[in-house]
Amino acid sequence: MKKELEHSFVELLEKHQNIVHKVCRLYTNNYDAHNDLFQEITIQLWKAYPKFRGEAKFSTWMYRVSLNTAITLYRKSKRRINTEDFNDVEFKIKAEVYDDTEEQQLKVLYKAVHQLNDIEKALVFLYLEDKDYREISETLGISEVNARVKMNRIKTKLKTILNP
Amino acid sequence: MDELDLLKKDWKKSDDKFPKLSYNQIYSMILKRSSSIVKWIFIISILEFVLWTGIAFFIKDTESMKRFESYSNNSVYTPLVIIGYIILAYFFYLFFRNYRNISVTDSAKVLMENIIKTRKTVRYYVLFNLGYLVASTIAALFVEFNNDDILINQAQQAAASGEIFKFYAVFIIATVLMLAVVIGVLLLFYWLIYGLLLKRLNSNYNELKKLEI
Repeated sequence: MKKELEHSFVELLEKHQNIVHKVCRLYTNNYDAHNDLFQEITIQLWKAYPKFRGEAKFSTWMYRVSLNTAITLYRKSKRRINTEDFNDVEFKIKAEVYDDTEEQQLKVLYKAVHQLNDIEKALVFLYLEDKDYREISETLGISEVNARVKMNRIKTKLKTILNP
Repeated sequence: MDELDLLKKDWKKSDDKFPKLSYNQIYSMILKRSSSIVKWIFIISILEFVLWTGIAFFIKDTESMKRFESYSNNSVYTPLVIIGYIILAYFFYLFFRNYRNISVTDSAKVLMENIIKTRKTVRYYVLFNLGYLVASTIAALFVEFNNDDILINQAQQAAASGEIFKFYAVFIIATVLMLAVVIGVLLLFYWLIYGLLLKRLNSNYNELKKLEI
C-alpha cells in the first residue's frame, strides 16, 4: 500500500516537477538555494500527499503546497535575505536599466520581482502561470477582489522599483 | 506592453531551462525522512540520559547511598563515573553528528553510508551501556566488600567456619542473576525504542539500495 502511494507520488511529481522549479526560481536567487527549496517542497508535498484526495487537480494542489512551503521558509529567513544584498540589487538595477535589449530588461525585471514580499511573489507566480483571478484566489485562500487589488498594487510597486 | 506581460512571455519559454530530475532522484528525496528518524535517536538518547540521571538524583538521599558515599575508598567508583559521563557525552556528539550529516545530504550513496554509521553508533551505544552497568556493579561490590562493616564481619565469620568459598559463591551467583534480569529489561527497552527506529531506517536503506542497482 505504502509502496503504491510512493510510486504514484513520485511519478506525478516527476511529471509536474517544473511547477516546483518555477516556484524555486521566484523565491531563490542562486543554485544551492534553488535545490534546497526544491527538496524542502518535495518533502512537504510527500508529507501532505496522503491527504490529497484528488478533489483538486494534482497540479492545483501542488501550486498550493509549494507556495505555502516557499512562503513559510521565506518568512523564516526573511531578515537574512533582506539585509544581505538589498542595496546591492537596487544599485545594479539603476545601473542596468538604461540598456534596453530584451534580455537585459528581463534580467532587471526578475531582480525587481525578487524584491517583492512572499505573498506578492506568490501572486506574480500564479499570474505568470496564466491563472485567472478565481484560481489565484482559491490557491492563496483570498477573495477574488482582494487578489485583483493586490495584483494592481504589485504592478504599481514593480513600476516604482524599475523607475525610482 | 506591461512589464509583467514581458515576463510572462519569457516565463512560458523557461520550461526547458530547468533540470529534469529523474524518478530515482525524486524518490531519494522523499527518503530524506531518514533524517527525522536519526533526529529521534539523538533526542531519545538525551532523554534516556536525563531519566538515568534523574533516578540517580532521586536515590541520592537514601540511606544506603549515603552510606556508600561515605566510604573513603571511592578511588574506584569516582573515576568510573567520570569516564562514564565523558563517553556518554561523546555518544551524544556522535548522534548529533549523524543527524547533521544526514540532514544535509542529498546523494543516495552518502545517505546510505550515514545510515550504516548511525546503526553502528546505536549498537556501540547499547553495548557501552550494558558493559558500563556490569563494570559499575563489580566496582560497587568491590567497594562494599572493602568498607561495609556488616559484610566484612560476615566474611570473617564465614572464613572462620571454613565457608568462605560458599559465602562468595552465593554473592556472585545472586549478582549475576540480578544483572541478567536488569540486562534483559534494558535490552527489551533498547529493542523497543532504538530497535523500532532502526527498523524504519533499515527499510529506507533497502529502498535506497534498490535505487543504486
